[in-house]
Amino acid sequence: MRIGSAKQTYAADEAIFKTNVQRAWFAALALALILFPFIASDYWQLLACLIAINIVAAMGLMILTGFTGLVSLGHAAFMGVGAYTAAYLSNHLALPFWLTIPAGGFVAAAVGAVFGIPSLRVKGLYLALTTIAASFILQSIFFNWTSVTGGARGLTIEPASFFGRALVTPGAIYWIAMPIAALTVWWARNLLRTRVGRAFIAIRDRDISAELLGIELLRYKLMSFALASFYAGMAGALWVYLFRVITPESFRLIESIFFVAAIIVGGLGSVRGAIFGAVFMTLVPELLKIGASDLAPYWPDAVKLLSPVRTIVFGALIVGFLMFEPLGLNEIWQRTRQRFALWPFRT
Amino acid sequence: MRTDRRKILAGLGAGVVSSTVPAPWVRGLRAQEASEIPVAIASPMTGVFAFAGIEGTDGANHFAQYLNERGGIAGRKLRLIVEDTGYQVPQAVAVFNRLVAEYKVPLFLGDSTGFQKTINEEVNRRGLLLAGASFASEIDDPQKYPLQYMPGPSYSAQVGMLLKHIAATKKGARIAFVHSDTEFGRDPIAQSEALAKTLGLEQVEKIVTPPGSFDVSSEVLKLRRARPEFTVFHGYVMAPIPEFMKQMKEARIETQFMGTFYSSDLGILQKMGDVADGYLGVNAYNYVNQEGVSGPAMDFIKKANGGKYRTNSYLQPWTNLTLGTEAMRRCIEAGKEMTGANLKAALNTIKDYDMGGVIGVPISVPGNSIGVGRIFRANLKAGKMDPVSDWIKAEA
Repeated sequence: MRIGSAKQTYAADEAIFKTNVQRAWFAALALALILFPFIASDYWQLLACLIAINIVAAMGLMILTGFTGLVSLGHAAFMGVGAYTAAYLSNHLALPFWLTIPAGGFVAAAVGAVFGIPSLRVKGLYLALTTIAASFILQSIFFNWTSVTGGARGLTIEPASFFGRALVTPGAIYWIAMPIAALTVWWARNLLRTRVGRAFIAIRDRDISAELLGIELLRYKLMSFALASFYAGMAGALWVYLFRVITPESFRLIESIFFVAAIIVGGLGSVRGAIFGAVFMTLVPELLKIGASDLAPYWPDAVKLLSPVRTIVFGALIVGFLMFEPLGLNEIWQRTRQRFALWPFRT
Repeated sequence: MRTDRRKILAGLGAGVVSSTVPAPWVRGLRAQEASEIPVAIASPMTGVFAFAGIEGTDGANHFAQYLNERGGIAGRKLRLIVEDTGYQVPQAVAVFNRLVAEYKVPLFLGDSTGFQKTINEEVNRRGLLLAGASFASEIDDPQKYPLQYMPGPSYSAQVGMLLKHIAATKKGARIAFVHSDTEFGRDPIAQSEALAKTLGLEQVEKIVTPPGSFDVSSEVLKLRRARPEFTVFHGYVMAPIPEFMKQMKEARIETQFMGTFYSSDLGILQKMGDVADGYLGVNAYNYVNQEGVSGPAMDFIKKANGGKYRTNSYLQPWTNLTLGTEAMRRCIEAGKEMTGANLKAALNTIKDYDMGGVIGVPISVPGNSIGVGRIFRANLKAGKMDPVSDWIKAEA
């Protein structure tokens, strides 16, 4: 039970882990993540890889939308840029994954900065429309720039290799995806403690006031787009190493909406929200599917009849969050933590 | 009010989690019996191809019933495990990983070209047989896709059959290709253009439409200038074919409309309306309501469905399972383990095999596909498809 939390320095006040209990829980989480591939089946390892990739992508969108207040419906297209970059560099220059993944991020960042220019003039729904345009423009490029993207056929990529060992299973990719996810979460959390992070939040809260206080909107808005796109590009590069095939239909507008839903359900404006949202959006459809298939021995048509219902239930859960818990899963987490902060005493 | 809201959300969340609670002991109940052979199917029961997935699931379940009533696979019952993918590759891959690990299936049926390409290396690594709904020419390559097969001729072979029919109908005919700008749409075009030249046909136009397009007026203008005598559609299930046909008829373009497997289903053509009357389509199967078609399988299908028309999507998994289970039977009788390599080798021994009325001629599977198809004309007034060619064998 923690009573009071006296800080004597600014550094202590800004620290991510404020108590030894928090550090212990974090160490336990890290240990669990390390042990996970040794105890989980291929299926759960694949889901873990998908969750890690979605965390990276959602974290990028959280920086852009949650921290800077800039709506984007083109996030999946930037993932596509990263994915195609990684695939092209791997196929044509035989670069290893530890070069192609950051390269995918940087190329996506450059593209994202270009498409972020309209944010200097428009915001809200109008900005959302320009990012939808980005999604369509990039998808058109994916379809038609055949010499680079393979056109409608897409590209296949050789497996990532580590000291000559091909990383072909989800368990092998886990050891790339999860550390990258952890790093990106750590970067994002630290970003909030820096001048840049505070500038993003100021722009989100009141951009005119932020400008009057000396925050250059041009610089920071484009930086936010570039950072978010960098995260998306890295996520896309990881995605292509996991599935080893990319087509223009892999990153469409609907995938961008998926990530927007993830950060809203997780809790806008928090690093934890991106993690919770990515886990929720990845796991819940799978859990619902498992539930439907478990009824199959008793009800042979269960899967066929419950599959559309499953989609409705998933949508209802998202709507439920928006209506009853607009601050998202992160708020539920905060309340739970608060309840146990002074446990066994009531708060 | 806050308490009620939290209770509602908590209830929804608990419902999701509790739906998976029976999993361990239910799986204990479902543990594979030695007398069963499981086959896993990833089917798009939600999403844009839900209509095909639901038909396919019915086709698969009816096949299992048909086979098990006839003694199963060398005395062992066929058991199907079907899961929804929403026609999304990541979901299909997740379904694959889960079902293959849990049930140790020798055969997996997939739902899309994207999935079959993505999972190819994993299939080779795990050593099982894979079939699906794709007729992609790339997959019809035993070198690159050694453990896969498809339930009919490839798209290239299908367009080839149409072109040969055109060449036999009119020498030097003027033809146009209309296809979607997708992997599906582009698949057979390069090879078909070369074949058209070889057959002495004059290609006067090629139209490429963006996926999901509806406004085709500018493309119809191009076709009006080109005046093709035969217009071959590919890469669509329905839209924008009816719009093309309607506008081309209004523009008085005298042309015979033709298409490949997915636009040749009677149900789809009936939905297109009267403009589709006379449409020529290449099909890998007999139609369920086709007159004069009989055989043990087709008779069972007609009886099981009480005269209700079933689409081509129903017959695809039926065909995949017919071939897959026949390969299993041959493996078991030869005393061989049902590995992917052994099953594929057994599949490739299938020669002059009677498909029980589903396909009108005996078939062979020397590679990854069944190289036969037939051209039918839509007779929408009579509600049927009339054959206009014999069964055509695709060249190897």
